[in-house]
Amino acid sequence: MKKDVFTYIIGGEAGQGTKKAGIVAANLFAELKREVFQMNDYPSLIRGGHNFSVVTTSTSKIYSHYMKADLIVALDHESYTIHKNHLNKNGVLVFNSDKTKGKGIGIPISSESKKYENANLIEGVTGIAILVACLEKDKKILDGIIKQEYGRNIKDNHNFAHAIYDKAYDKITKRFHLKEGKNKKVTLSGSETIALGAAAAGLDIYFAYPMTPSTPVLHFFASNRKKLGVITVQPENEIAVANMAIGTAFTGTRSMVGTSGGGFCLMQEAFSLAGMSEAPVLFYLGQRPGPSTGVPTYTEQGELLFALYPGQGEFPRLVASPGSIEEAFHLTAELLDLVWRFQTPGILLSEKHLGESIMSVDIKVNTTKWATPTISTSKKYQRYRNTKSGVSPLLFPPTNQLIKWNSYEHDEGGTTTEDAELIAKMHVKRATKIRSMTEYIKKNIKTVNVYGHKSPYIFTWGSTTMSVLEALEYTGIKATVVQPIYLQPFPTWELAKYKNKKSVVVEQNSTGQLEQLLKEKVGINPDLAFRQFNGRPFDPIDLGEKLKEVKVNGR
Amino acid sequence: MDDDFSTDAKITWCPGCGNFGILNALKKAVKKLEDTGVKRKHIMISSGIGCHGKIFDYVGLSGLYSIHGRSMATVQGMKLGNPDLKVIAFAGDGDAYGEGIAHMIFAAKRNADITVVVHNNGTYALTTGQFSPTSKKGFKGPSLPTGNVEDPLNPLALLLEAGASFVARGYAGKVNHLSDIMVDAVLHNGFSLIDVLQPSVVFNDTYKLYNEITEIIPKPAKNFEDAVKLAKQMGNRLPIGVFYKVKKPVFHKELYGDWNPVINKISRVERLKRVKQFL
Repeated sequence: MKKDVFTYIIGGEAGQGTKKAGIVAANLFAELKREVFQMNDYPSLIRGGHNFSVVTTSTSKIYSHYMKADLIVALDHESYTIHKNHLNKNGVLVFNSDKTKGKGIGIPISSESKKYENANLIEGVTGIAILVACLEKDKKILDGIIKQEYGRNIKDNHNFAHAIYDKAYDKITKRFHLKEGKNKKVTLSGSETIALGAAAAGLDIYFAYPMTPSTPVLHFFASNRKKLGVITVQPENEIAVANMAIGTAFTGTRSMVGTSGGGFCLMQEAFSLAGMSEAPVLFYLGQRPGPSTGVPTYTEQGELLFALYPGQGEFPRLVASPGSIEEAFHLTAELLDLVWRFQTPGILLSEKHLGESIMSVDIKVNTTKWATPTISTSKKYQRYRNTKSGVSPLLFPPTNQLIKWNSYEHDEGGTTTEDAELIAKMHVKRATKIRSMTEYIKKNIKTVNVYGHKSPYIFTWGSTTMSVLEALEYTGIKATVVQPIYLQPFPTWELAKYKNKKSVVVEQNSTGQLEQLLKEKVGINPDLAFRQFNGRPFDPIDLGEKLKEVKVNGR
Repeated sequence: MDDDFSTDAKITWCPGCGNFGILNALKKAVKKLEDTGVKRKHIMISSGIGCHGKIFDYVGLSGLYSIHGRSMATVQGMKLGNPDLKVIAFAGDGDAYGEGIAHMIFAAKRNADITVVVHNNGTYALTTGQFSPTSKKGFKGPSLPTGNVEDPLNPLALLLEAGASFVARGYAGKVNHLSDIMVDAVLHNGFSLIDVLQPSVVFNDTYKLYNEITEIIPKPAKNFEDAVKLAKQMGNRLPIGVFYKVKKPVFHKELYGDWNPVINKISRVERLKRVKQFL
């Protein structure tokens, strides 16, 4: 069982700054050179409701938060009621004695916050004052944090934090002395690593219409516009988003779009246009529970099969899903390079759990490729010139040659055609591209992550990989995790060796979409499936217990 | 006409179709633009789907043959990708005022520096003559043989309200006049709409009507209110020409100033340096 794990939960209403307190706690742990994983749980509303942030930290690599906490700070009654069940045996629960009665340490948080303007907003600071007191750090540390993280209303925040710290210090019966780790690591969200990965591969413009959970990528690019040099555009709807991105790609400018399932539905006609016109555009599809509006701010993996087949007609497409916040950086960069290499749309498929969780990462930027297309040198340019690979060289305006991209079936020059021979020829060209793209990926790209080398085999994908890895860490079970990174083309060449092995599939949907792919494309028939589809990511403890049964009971 | 614009594509418009007038006006306009110093290699086109869209194949200009209703979005993307380009979107009335109306309104609202030429024939001709957003009430087509029950949109008034900084109406039967409007529109910094009255000889032959009632206005209206009045003028005097033309801040410049993503492309070394700041 994994040692040295400390988990902190802060819960309250929307607008009380629980997420902020979680981020500040994560930064505090990172300062101690510890690894962190932070997950934010919040409903789709601006005020009220129940929000919480959970931060788990360890001196060794950590892939998930835990839903068993050592320190819980409940700012309101609901938080107390919900999270008291998440307290570890020797954990500390601090609650707002103005709002609720209960077991644990009651602090009159509201009577204290009332003394300040923005009484409700200031209460998030409680979480940090209590954390610092529990870690037995002195007020100087607290002051430093307030100055750095809560600088906007610094005097009030300072005084409030001191008051809470003083009220809590003597009441706290248990202190946590967290060991320092070896190296200080940076903490980033999946949305941030996705954005940075795209920037590292040469992204110029990011188009998006706001939709949870993809919006943080738009916000990150926008707020770091000067620092990174990536332009953001927020058009009128997702249809404009995707079509503008294609128009931008036409000029040789690298474009990417971001959305969630509903928005991606609207982008399908443009996705198909990108396939036909051979436009290199990367689509970031951040999943949330569906169908339809579904549950906007929670997580699910219900769009795997949707992502494999969007858009009318037959054309090459790429789909890949990162298994960790770190991998999201490299995979986004890799996909941007691939869509330019093969001039076809690609999808970076992820989930709220990856996009909005925060993790310690160790990223090397120099390994990323810079998306660079092959440029035509021919005297008479033909946009869709037939080549051995099916990939035609590109040319960008301004040039005296004619560049014709076309949504209709076309001849090599890009002029519309209805000629039987040409129609067939262009189908073959696009099919050739699928083959050469698959060959290239086979040769040059890591398509499957494999962790461990013992039976049973656990198939999983996307952010669920992190939950599985942490569950194995927690339980100490020896098993092999097999995570296809690429879903289109599906790496059958890597997966075939896992046929007829004792195996289980873990994914966050109700119909077993990865399982279907494994069966249909590879002939793998897993013995068991663990599916969770309640909008919440797996808790490594729960999942670990389930995996133990597989290990013991077997087939 | 000097035909260094011609392509190998065989023209399949009906003989006498208003689209010929628009094609000829475009060719003339490009020549005139070249005389003003605009280079042909900087002019990019896009079109939607319908009879109008075929202009893409018939003219020797670079661009992207887009999908129904989206050519306005396509050219906005081109302009953002390389603001040195002059971009023209061709669209049918179904494209511009039906399927892609949101793109029109928002392109006008943000004053995107694009020109939209709408081949407005008041019918869906390529799909055999159904009523369109600008069909008159009572217009008979195969999808409603008893007659259209909806009133037509007034696209000029609508787009004036949306914030268009250049609004014009042309007529495919007056090629020189139309080509002058096109030149003016392309040179205008900002969103330019040219709604072109385009007779469809098979499904909505309006030559006789438009020859009678169109009346060239010599110059744009003095102010917005007068432009709206012109746009709403109906009956036996139908104004053609530039209704409205004002200077307004242009979208891409408001967004990123004098930047050009192609010319000012950040090098890999520089970009990686910038990314490292976050790591």
